[in-house]
Amino acid sequence: MKKKQNTLMKNFLSDIKFSRRTFIKASATAGAAVALGVELKPELKALASASGVASNVKGEWRPATCQGCTSWCSKQVYVVDGRAVKVRGNPNSKVNQGAGCPRSHMSLQQVYDPDRIKTPMKRTNPRKGRQEDPKFVPITWDEALNTIADKIMELRKNNETHKYMLMRGRYSYMRDILYSRMTKIIGSPNSISHSALCAEAEKFGPYYTEAYWGYRQYDVENTRYLLLWGADPLAANRQVSYYSKVWGDVIDRATIAVVEPRLSATAAKADEWLPIKPGQDSALAVAISHVLLATGLWYKPFVGDFIDGINRFIPSQYVDEDTFQEKYTHGIVKYWNLELRDKTPEWAAEITGLPVNQIKRVAVRYGKSAPHAISWLGGGPCMQVRGGYTSMAIHALNGIVGAVDNIGGTLKSNKEYTVNFPGEKPFMDDIAKTGKKHEKLDQRGRLQFPCIKKGKPGSGVITNNTADGIINGDPYDIKVAIGYMNNFAFSAPQPERWERALSKIPFLVHITTNASEFSWFSDIVLPDTHHMFEKWGYVKSIGNGYRHVTLMQPIIEPVWDYKTDETEIPWLIAEKLAERGFDNLLRHFKEYKDPETGKEPTNEKEFALYALKYATQNLWDPTKYQGGDKFNGWEDFLKVGVWNSKPYSYQKRWGKMKTKTGMFEFYSDTLKAALEKHAGNHNVTVDEVMKATNYLARGERAFIPHYEEPFIMGDEKEYPFIHVDHKSRLNREGRSANCSWYYDFKDVDPGDEVWDDVAKINPVDAQKLGIKNGDRVKLTSPTGNLVCTAKLWEGVRPGTVAKCYGQGHWAYGRLAAKKFGKIPRGGSSNDIIPAQYEALSGSSAYYGVTRIKVEKV
Amino acid sequence: MPRYAMIIDLQRCVGCSACSIACRNENNVTDGIYWSNKITQTSGTFPNVRYHYMPTLCNHCQNAPCVRGCPTQAMHKLDNGITMHDPKKCIGCKYCEFNCPYGVIYFNWDTPHKTWRNSRPLIKGATSSPAEEVKKVRGKAIPYYNPEREATLPGIRPRGVVEKCTFCDHRTRKGNLPYCVEACPSDARIFGDINDPNSEVSKLLGKFRPFRLREQLGTEPHVFYIRDFNPANYQPSKGGI
Repeated sequence: MKKKQNTLMKNFLSDIKFSRRTFIKASATAGAAVALGVELKPELKALASASGVASNVKGEWRPATCQGCTSWCSKQVYVVDGRAVKVRGNPNSKVNQGAGCPRSHMSLQQVYDPDRIKTPMKRTNPRKGRQEDPKFVPITWDEALNTIADKIMELRKNNETHKYMLMRGRYSYMRDILYSRMTKIIGSPNSISHSALCAEAEKFGPYYTEAYWGYRQYDVENTRYLLLWGADPLAANRQVSYYSKVWGDVIDRATIAVVEPRLSATAAKADEWLPIKPGQDSALAVAISHVLLATGLWYKPFVGDFIDGINRFIPSQYVDEDTFQEKYTHGIVKYWNLELRDKTPEWAAEITGLPVNQIKRVAVRYGKSAPHAISWLGGGPCMQVRGGYTSMAIHALNGIVGAVDNIGGTLKSNKEYTVNFPGEKPFMDDIAKTGKKHEKLDQRGRLQFPCIKKGKPGSGVITNNTADGIINGDPYDIKVAIGYMNNFAFSAPQPERWERALSKIPFLVHITTNASEFSWFSDIVLPDTHHMFEKWGYVKSIGNGYRHVTLMQPIIEPVWDYKTDETEIPWLIAEKLAERGFDNLLRHFKEYKDPETGKEPTNEKEFALYALKYATQNLWDPTKYQGGDKFNGWEDFLKVGVWNSKPYSYQKRWGKMKTKTGMFEFYSDTLKAALEKHAGNHNVTVDEVMKATNYLARGERAFIPHYEEPFIMGDEKEYPFIHVDHKSRLNREGRSANCSWYYDFKDVDPGDEVWDDVAKINPVDAQKLGIKNGDRVKLTSPTGNLVCTAKLWEGVRPGTVAKCYGQGHWAYGRLAAKKFGKIPRGGSSNDIIPAQYEALSGSSAYYGVTRIKVEKV
Repeated sequence: MPRYAMIIDLQRCVGCSACSIACRNENNVTDGIYWSNKITQTSGTFPNVRYHYMPTLCNHCQNAPCVRGCPTQAMHKLDNGITMHDPKKCIGCKYCEFNCPYGVIYFNWDTPHKTWRNSRPLIKGATSSPAEEVKKVRGKAIPYYNPEREATLPGIRPRGVVEKCTFCDHRTRKGNLPYCVEACPSDARIFGDINDPNSEVSKLLGKFRPFRLREQLGTEPHVFYIRDFNPANYQPSKGGI
């Protein structure tokens, strides 16, 4: 295929090969061949009479929000006669500024997916398992809700409400109603989010350097150097629309370098590609830091300088801390002494497999671009077993060059003024209070799972470990569980564990658009609304120096009897619970009064609307105005669909960060306090915490960014390749697989093919294995295997095999699965990724985590 | 009368295919047919590798071989330079398809959007079927059918005729840009009247050295490319022996 494409491009561009004469000759031959082909009659008339749509119908662009990825763009949908026809970026957003992306269009194929469930259904086969057809039959909403309420009441009757669990997948900020309030009022600690499958390790570095737990926005239009680490902003998360819009100009002003073992969409347009050995990112990050200090390229107005101005950062030599006067940072000399002094480019070259010259060139040019020099932290380098310190090392580069909170640098989110829903405390009775005190089922906070979100041990989720909690009944068994817009039996590494876990839950409810792998194990499946067209809600997002709050609205005529996950369904459950004598939840929900009329909601539809108006009142009510865009009232806000913050104020946080020292911490007093607190909780030392979490650092090194040898499963002899997982620019998270456009355009991911799922193998490796393009291959890791098609491609590092996430569904729809419920289409990367964790943040490790072998089948 | 032309700025292009998917949507094009398409190429050997992406579509040639070779004048030129097709006159001989040096004309071998005619539900009683879904939302062949396409062409082209990009003539006649131009997230497509020296396309053609595909054939394409998909810088060198 590659050869064919290359020839094609050559033919189009070369003036020599294809003269007009040969071209006419070629056409004539081809024409003759076709004349012998099948004769087909035009079917124009038949088609014209089949028309159900008048062509003069006028449509209207209505505001919407896309959650196809976590860019969370504000959109507009063209609605004709109650029907969604087209999608475009909302020009009123200052974040995405009217720009769209390829995957947003696929939302049309999602909302009108014929395989969406149109009614509640229940399983009639009591046996649960991958091989057990649930034999779903349709039931009424009333029957479904009554059953759910009965099961919850049973828990309450038996004082075991902690055995209720809520699992959250894709959410809007209406989430707290179902996720938090309802779970607590019923009386359970077990609200389990998907966040640790997503990115928590990516927030770890920024938090333990500058006390910011969140995604960064990068000021690309003002930057001179962009150093991207496993981030692919032209294809995947986040703010793809905005970055796509401005990238053509960014290229003119900035040098772009991409660190990634696979030639990504962004690497394709970069000045430098650093195809690093998987898992070795921290070596490169500390080596670049070493060069920056050794060559005097740190940004002195931010970091400070030696008192006498003489650079004492001499390779391998220790530096006296008293000789350096820091300005807005903390611990630069400690960082040098404890880690950087001997981390030379030569040392890193051997570990990373990158040329010394390239490392030096990138480091020097990055440093010379200070402070307009971004070190862009993606998920790749830190969603690894020992990725926490990599996250810090990569983000710390921004500190060294003064790019933090600076023009052309890395920025946090702007202020917005939405408010929380009413508190649940007055509605939690004794049963609830007792129930909530139990340990959470994901085992967060145990010695080996610190999950220290925002400095608090045990406060972050460790999503994927919940499966083991359920399987082992540790700390206890779960009896009633609800999951919404999640699909852990597909989206979590080593999903076979989830198949066993979910089979074990006696009563499982799934709120979803499609009957997915998770639904397969459920007792009741409820048809959810599609976030973009059918739901009230809002989300917040950042980019371009702004934050927007963008609304989700029901803007089309609903096709079937869907109900909204985060608002309508909890209301309806609350009504059923009240009928059974437990009205606390319903009384709580009645507090969500319409801010305009003061009326309390009387049904699920009013509740959904009032809750949204309640949370966003400060944005649309002119009497409550606090900043950013101003509206005349609710209707005005609805029409525009998005609120924009004030523009970003640079350097406002210099010296006033929320770290322990107030400074940007190279030596993290903030992490030290958090780790010591966790160690204290278990009466152990920090060294023992390091050991329990599979880290190699001991002593002071636990508090600074540093190199850690990656933890990669599998014996090199048996499993010679390192697996490289990546995302598709067409992935609407894992939910594109039932859309035909996904397959028809799959080759827009560099190296991939249409209507196929390929493992990209370097031709050098393929030759050794005797594998050709198009061969069926089996990829096997120590924990699983998948079968897909081999693609020989130069854009992967020899010794690695790259495979895109997104296909390999065995449920979800007629197109997603080769045979629904039985045979997957393609192979799911998660089937070969072991359930391993970056335990300090709770993140699942997706990258640089396993070796694999490749065999022809 | 304007003479429409498009410029594709390869530096702005991010190779995302939003143009092509949006085109499918706007023109109700069936799967497997690409009015808007691309040529990709991976060049070099690891680690010196680059990936290139070049969007393609009907070039709306001044000397269109597809028009000259059409026996029924189904393929014809409009005064504004658009190469247009009239399926009512089309006999499905495919001469245009084979005369086109760019491979952008497609023949409908099969019933368009055939999978949407299926009336079998995935889960009986709990899901609809493709055919039921189309009917229920009052679509036509597909649920997200765009009726605006009907203004100048059958909304969906039937089996047995060819089809291709029309520069969204149904939109341009109403003063709207072609949908691929509007949908491009990176503003890589610039559309306008090449006869107007003050149009954006004319200005850009004066600023950059444009190239067109297979110019040597004398077809006079009206899709112009400027700049490079991958304008990477590199260390100066005289090479070596």
